Amino acid sequence: MNNIYLKQAIRGIKSNPSRTLLTTLGIMIGIGTVILVLSAGEGFKSYINSQVEAFGTNTVIVQTSVPSSTKSRSGGSSSKEANNSASNAVPITTLKIHDIEDIQNLNNVKNAYGASVGQQIVTYKGISKTALIFGASAARFDIDKGVIANGRGYSYQEDKSLSQVALLGSKVASDLFGDTNPVGKEIRIGNSNFEVIGVYASKGGFGPMNEDEQVFVPVTTLQRKIQGIDYLIYGVVELMDNSKADATSLGIADLLRHNHYINDPIKDDFKVQTQKESLSTFDTILQAVTFLLIAIASISLIVGGVGVMNIMYVVVTERIGEIGLKKALGARGRDILYEFLIEAVLLTLIGGVIGIIGGSFFAFLIAKFAESMGLAWKFIVPIWGVIISVSVSMIIGIVFGVFPARNAARLDPIVALNRE
Amino acid sequence: MLIELKNIVKNYDNGGVVTKVLRDVNLSVEEGEFVAIMGPSGSGKSTLMHTIGFLDRPTSGTYLFDGENTEGFSDDELARIRNNRIGFVFQSFNLLPRTSVLDNVMLPLMYNNSKANQEHRAKVALEAVGLGERLNFMSNQISGGQKQRVAIARALVCDPKVIFADEPTGNLDSKSGSTVMNILEKLNKEGRTIILVTHDKQVALHANRIVTIRDGEIVSDVLVPESERVHSKEIKDDTDL
Repeated sequence: MNNIYLKQAIRGIKSNPSRTLLTTLGIMIGIGTVILVLSAGEGFKSYINSQVEAFGTNTVIVQTSVPSSTKSRSGGSSSKEANNSASNAVPITTLKIHDIEDIQNLNNVKNAYGASVGQQIVTYKGISKTALIFGASAARFDIDKGVIANGRGYSYQEDKSLSQVALLGSKVASDLFGDTNPVGKEIRIGNSNFEVIGVYASKGGFGPMNEDEQVFVPVTTLQRKIQGIDYLIYGVVELMDNSKADATSLGIADLLRHNHYINDPIKDDFKVQTQKESLSTFDTILQAVTFLLIAIASISLIVGGVGVMNIMYVVVTERIGEIGLKKALGARGRDILYEFLIEAVLLTLIGGVIGIIGGSFFAFLIAKFAESMGLAWKFIVPIWGVIISVSVSMIIGIVFGVFPARNAARLDPIVALNRE
Repeated sequence: MLIELKNIVKNYDNGGVVTKVLRDVNLSVEEGEFVAIMGPSGSGKSTLMHTIGFLDRPTSGTYLFDGENTEGFSDDELARIRNNRIGFVFQSFNLLPRTSVLDNVMLPLMYNNSKANQEHRAKVALEAVGLGERLNFMSNQISGGQKQRVAIARALVCDPKVIFADEPTGNLDSKSGSTVMNILEKLNKEGRTIILVTHDKQVALHANRIVTIRDGEIVSDVLVPESERVHSKEIKDDTDL
């Protein structure tokens, strides 16, 4: 029965539990980090996916973009300064509302809206608040999945006619109005008065992208009445058939080049990105970060493995008499080898399992924290991550246990017995 | 003939200095004999026992065990002989710590090819040494005499042809020592070959033959007349049930 090896290994490990725990600390931290990184990565992915879904999965984003030819050009008349400011502050002003209207006429395009954003002070009855003012065409209400909890959205007509109407994010509404119903009330955005016509349901989120903290107005009103500009920051295009997204985005690019008098794609002042593309960009970044963190965790695993090897050498020395006895009683070299190998694997496995539990626990805390921030963050411990972690910790046990175990197996029974 | 040593030489090489521990030893032991090997310390008696017990290989010479020439046996083959043809009893008991009496006795069975009835066989061996009631005691919870009896049970459990006892009473008081010798005598009466290593004449007189070794050579090999043999009684340990 093979359980002799297991029984002896368990006895060895139980003989010094605190040493066992200390020995496996490196493995615990290493495996724990791997699980934490993988789980948090999955959770972050789930959050991003939910954000993308809120945008609509069958959409293409058109963004203004500094042409790469400008960025790479050096020398010339206004070179350096222009260069810096171009990539930093000066916005690209070429994307106009008529571009979006033209896009709407393309094949496979169901709907589209243009958007501009700006920061303004919003005031109601002496209470004021700085908020991001988000201007979009009325088509936004058909494309985005935001829920208007109270009131209504603005119409195409209101957008065209520069109506001064606004929808509030849930946080803005509660900050300015408290318990009062904001719909129908007059607020001040910058220097103009706006009528509140609707309040969004809370979406959750953090940072400047938190829509609960934003105010939504017709894009033309924002451009003309508040910002005094006529260009857009970006546009969102809804497709009929998402499988043709690549062809459609090429069509959009052609159209914009035609409208902007661009004949060389390198001079594009815009970027057309399908959801698939933005997800894959994000995936690439996430993978790189995951890879980096796991590489760091591997150092801990190697250090942990060396720690296990070190302790196994000590254990072999401690048990020389016992090894001699077992050999006298008929244990072969390979019996001794297996006993010590299994003990080493058991050590690293214990570390691995504790690491998996600990890593999952911290990932769970992160998920709970993210949830409490209102993010749609799922707690996921990828099963393949667990399988890999268990395998890796066992492999570490074998790799770092084999040398001490071989030393034990090769002991001469007489020498070993006499050491007692 | 169970054991037949022919011209056995054992040299230890300590960094170029060769120590001759056994010089041309010839010894035959028949099945059922009770042989005591005597000699002062450094005489080579332990090396002789280790060689006969396959714990050590001779430098030269022939060793026939149960009619089989063991020269050129692999380490695994020697381990197998140690496991099921030989039982060892050591001066310092050598029980596994933090391990029950039963598990200690079962240890050789773990390395044995026959996997059947391990627990039953261990219990039978423990009953043979009068410890059938102490199966689940830990090896550190019993007295020295009991430890040595557990060690004898462990030596017996694979039903070996021969038991080697190296100073089995060396660490025991006279009462427990007497009990241990009584058990060995009983085993011998049942037909098992016993080879006992000791420097104590009184202990050696339990055997029916005394081989004396000095400076690596056998200097005398005599049968003990039945009238001179010592027989020990079983003396109940204070801690026995």
